[in-house]
Amino acid sequence: MSLDNFWRRHRTLRAALRNLSFTAGILILASVVLVALSAPWLFPGDPLDMVGMPALWPGEDPAFPLGTDSLGRDVAAGLAHGARVSLLVGVSAAGIGLLIGTAIGAAAGYSGGWVDDLLVRVTELFQTVPAFLLVIVLVSIREPSAPAIAVAIGVASWPTVARLVRAQFRSLRSADFVAAALVSGARPSRIILRHILPNALPPIVVTTSVMVANAILTEAGLSFLNLGDPNLVSWGSMIGDGRQLLRTAWYLTALPGAAIALTVMSINLAGDGLNDVLNPRSGSH
Amino acid sequence: MGIIHDAGQNAAIGLPVTRRLALLGASARALAPYGLRAESRRGGTLTIALSSEPTALVSATTVVTPALSVSGKVTEGLLRYDFDLNPQPELATEWNVSPDGLRYVFRLRPGVKWHDGKDFTAADVAFSLLLLKQVHPRGRSTFANLTEVLTPDPLTAEVRLSRPAPYLIKALAGAEAPILPKHIYEGTDAASNPNNAAPIGTGPFIFKEWVRGSHVIYARNPNYWDAPKPYLDQLIIRFIPDAAARSAAFETGQVDLGYRTPVGLADVERLRHHPDLRFETKGNSYSFNVTKLEFNLDNEYFRHLKVRQAVAHAIDREFIARVAFFGNAVPCASPIAPGLREFHDPTPSPYPFDLAKAEKLLDEAGFRRGANRTRFRVPLDFNPVLDEARRLSDILRATLGRIGIAVDIRAQDTGSFVKRVYTDRDFAFTTNGLSNLFDPTVGVQRTYWSKNFIRGVPFSNCTHYANPEVDRVLEAAAVENDPARRVELFREFQRIVAAEVPDINIASPVFLTIYNKRVHDHSLTANGIEANLADAYVDA
Repeated sequence: MSLDNFWRRHRTLRAALRNLSFTAGILILASVVLVALSAPWLFPGDPLDMVGMPALWPGEDPAFPLGTDSLGRDVAAGLAHGARVSLLVGVSAAGIGLLIGTAIGAAAGYSGGWVDDLLVRVTELFQTVPAFLLVIVLVSIREPSAPAIAVAIGVASWPTVARLVRAQFRSLRSADFVAAALVSGARPSRIILRHILPNALPPIVVTTSVMVANAILTEAGLSFLNLGDPNLVSWGSMIGDGRQLLRTAWYLTALPGAAIALTVMSINLAGDGLNDVLNPRSGSH
Repeated sequence: MGIIHDAGQNAAIGLPVTRRLALLGASARALAPYGLRAESRRGGTLTIALSSEPTALVSATTVVTPALSVSGKVTEGLLRYDFDLNPQPELATEWNVSPDGLRYVFRLRPGVKWHDGKDFTAADVAFSLLLLKQVHPRGRSTFANLTEVLTPDPLTAEVRLSRPAPYLIKALAGAEAPILPKHIYEGTDAASNPNNAAPIGTGPFIFKEWVRGSHVIYARNPNYWDAPKPYLDQLIIRFIPDAAARSAAFETGQVDLGYRTPVGLADVERLRHHPDLRFETKGNSYSFNVTKLEFNLDNEYFRHLKVRQAVAHAIDREFIARVAFFGNAVPCASPIAPGLREFHDPTPSPYPFDLAKAEKLLDEAGFRRGANRTRFRVPLDFNPVLDEARRLSDILRATLGRIGIAVDIRAQDTGSFVKRVYTDRDFAFTTNGLSNLFDPTVGVQRTYWSKNFIRGVPFSNCTHYANPEVDRVLEAAAVENDPARRVELFREFQRIVAAEVPDINIASPVFLTIYNKRVHDHSLTANGIEANLADAYVDA
């Protein structure tokens, strides 16, 4: 019996498992958000302040349960405050990407013709530039700060959304309810916002969750390369700082690394689950 | 064998007895750390790791560090220096400075040939020194007082100065003042001469190939003037930009030697436990560094003396040396590094680490704690080239935060940093480093002398410090022929700048040479690895 057959015969088990991973994703994500929100109360003060002996191992000093880095900064405080930066940059970058992508995709898909041609070329132009390189260039032009990084990641990530939205709009443009709305004299903006967009939303929502995860990874990559905001602690900068001591104090790299992996995984799990919920045709057929 | 050989050769040249004895003493001291041994072994390959690639293989028109690292292997100098910067013979066998300091006579080594077979003569020396005065980045100031070089016979060069230049006798190492073949450079543009990329010299190694982005290979010069040296058959210089990759290359034995702490500071302690690797601090005395915090004295906050004094009171040099440098530095409150022993003033800063005092001074200066308990907010730019500058900035950000100064660290690439600090002057304060070189007039004066406040010139006086008394002292020291009086002038200079804090000197990095235990006799002079490596040999 092939695995496929096994899954087909045990649809309920599969559904339950899907449900389980969705729940796990949401739970992990919720706890990360909770830690991020409560960081100022859990760890008051500047997480970049030197508070203890440098390079304490986790558990070595009860005051610093996850140890300190090579400058004596509290790793636990760094992880909690880093969650704020990672999530904030992730969500705002995805938001910016979503806004640009949806606007361009909708305009292209709805209008068709030369507008479509032009916007598709522009989208392709952006797609030919490796996203991470584009982010590095954009951040280097300005001084690295959290808002600048969020904007840069957003600007580099919109083409995926634009293509998706355009495809959705192209197919929905010829749907009966759109024709009906047109006949009844609705303005294009109303048709786009009230009729097509709500129906195009499910795949966009799922893509957005992936974009948040990617933005978190990109921010971590930037900070790792010392291109992040030097006045904010982020998981990526913690890994970058800890890298030098990888072979003597691996926990400095492993702990923020685990935080990134866990968060990105939870967002992906939640995104998969959302896909099932929002799109009844996927999975069960 | 090394000792006997030296003595024999010096006797043959006919040096006065006293100098010969001094040389013997120097050789014995140099060899002492390595223990007595039977004989230097001929043959084998030595591989040196550099973190970046030179722009030229001759340090005549450039002084970027990798060019200094390789230049001396082919292109030698008139002199070399022991660890305490006392001159030793290289292409010059004897030298004599007139009592007024205006006339230097060099007796040149006979029988020396360029790699293309032509004879080395005094004409090459005269040509080179006059060329360096024009094209060498530091030569313009080092040789500023040089008026002419006479060549009464092919083995005598007589240098004439308009005013004394007491540092000149220390500026003649191969890497700093390379002696170039006149017949190749004459009548050409020195900076674009092809010899810079495929050099011909008098040195123990002959240039073989330069593969851009990878390595340079040198082969043994069989006709070297100091036979049977060199001992190595081949010398390979590899460029490895990534610090972690350099660490790995040392651990796996792919490279044998690197200097000026060739690995990340965080990695040093771990590599000390490697069975094949050894560490050496000697051979790094031709250029000491001081890591410092430089204020922009035009800044609205830092133009106030009390604010600068307060920042000085917030500097814990011991802690910084231990944490930012992982212990590979010595605290240093003076712009003149402890390594320049005769000039360095060991007096501690008049503003010891005391945060309460710092807060009091800031209150007195009128900057009281306001909203968020912050007095004022300033950006801090760090020199991205220095391994320790970012960590130092992180420490300063944390400490200054405690006395109410909110610091925003600003990251940028090297080009932007230099432009911001030296051209645009759009900075408040900066963590920077100063190369002392072999003499304070050459290495230190440039950042304090008001006439060296020149926009657009990197590593000039970026603080905009201008004190007529300091100018007078520095200018007097530059031409002071009496060593004791000169030391006194520099002591006076250090006292003034310590009190006025145009910058805060923090620590002097201890540069480490890391080598595989199979390598011997690599660090026998003041600029060990930058010297010609004729004595270096490797075990089979």
